[in-house]
Amino acid sequence: MRAWLTGGAAGIAIGIAVAVTAARWAGAVTQPVAFDHRKHTQDLKLDCALCHPNVAVGQHPGLPSVEICAMCHQTRLGTSSASAQVTGYVTSGRPLVFRKLFGLPPYVFFTHRRHVAIAKLPCADCHGDIALTTTPPRRPLVTITMNFCLHCHLKMHQSTDCIACHR
Amino acid sequence: MPRWGMVIDLDRCTGCAACEVACKSENNIATVRPDQADMGRAMSWMKVETKIEGDFPDTRLSFAPRPCMQCDNPPCVKVCPVSATYLSPEGIVGQIYPRCIGCRYCANACPYTAKYFNWFAPAWPDSERAHLDPDVSVRPRGVMEKCTFCDHRLQQAKENARAAGRPLRESDFQPACADACPTRAIVFGDLDNPAHRVSTLKNDPRATRLMESLGTEPKVYYLTQKA
Repeated sequence: MRAWLTGGAAGIAIGIAVAVTAARWAGAVTQPVAFDHRKHTQDLKLDCALCHPNVAVGQHPGLPSVEICAMCHQTRLGTSSASAQVTGYVTSGRPLVFRKLFGLPPYVFFTHRRHVAIAKLPCADCHGDIALTTTPPRRPLVTITMNFCLHCHLKMHQSTDCIACHR
Repeated sequence: MPRWGMVIDLDRCTGCAACEVACKSENNIATVRPDQADMGRAMSWMKVETKIEGDFPDTRLSFAPRPCMQCDNPPCVKVCPVSATYLSPEGIVGQIYPRCIGCRYCANACPYTAKYFNWFAPAWPDSERAHLDPDVSVRPRGVMEKCTFCDHRLQQAKENARAAGRPLRESDFQPACADACPTRAIVFGDLDNPAHRVSTLKNDPRATRLMESLGTEPKVYYLTQKA
């Protein structure tokens, strides 16, 4: 009886652990190559807009296409496997599709142009230390909530009119 | 702070319904089946009302495009239990869809019947599905929706003006209905700005507002000789 109870408890514990792990990883974002933001933004001093070309002009900043990688990665640079992988994409002509990390609900209308080009906000204000990461984060580094937006809008004396963002 | 308003010249309106079509297209207004429309469940933020006077052959047709009146004293706002509808600082009565619980109090409070309930999940004919406006959300079943004077265009216009480093001009922000009107019967602008045409037209002797006696202070004015 005791063995059955012990076995049952262990089973429940394993079940909970599996469920928690599954829940934690349900929304995890994986990228096709291990992009090193620190290398590109800190060591090479590349501007964010080089790989996110619409960041100052559009709603969405855009993600780098293989053509943008090809500007530097026509031949293998350095010794990292990620660099070799990118060069492989470039030389084979296969599409390189990066995935969005930060997402907003469909009823939130946000434009990068307004925040980056007009308000001149640094990317780190909303994206945290993404520029310092050496491997692609699987989850956003900052949890963006309406409270997060409103806090900044009030601090900067900007509109808090609902229809400016929800419509 | 601007106070957006509209002037509709009924003597110029030909009843072509271009405003109605433009509004539906601009704001992702879902279509319903004919039998559902017969039950009064069709949505049309801009509705061209037709009135026929006299007996055939001595008849006279008149038309009245009816958007939301964007009242300065909106009855719909007063009854909303969750503040999903509110009067914005620029005088637009906004509707926040994710906050709406679909109680329909506002639809009953509105004397202009300008608020619509989504009785069904949004649907469009296949040919139109690819043309949805990405700047306007697709409202789910169970929420109220209404004309917002194409507020998304206002946000875009403000952004363009700020990026260009200049103030907002009258021509920067026009709702889809005013843009589409072939006879220029619909004029839109800031009612308090003397440089905008609406501020002059609203004082025209032909100007009138719907159900003024209710004290709702609508910001849509009609120009008509018959008033």
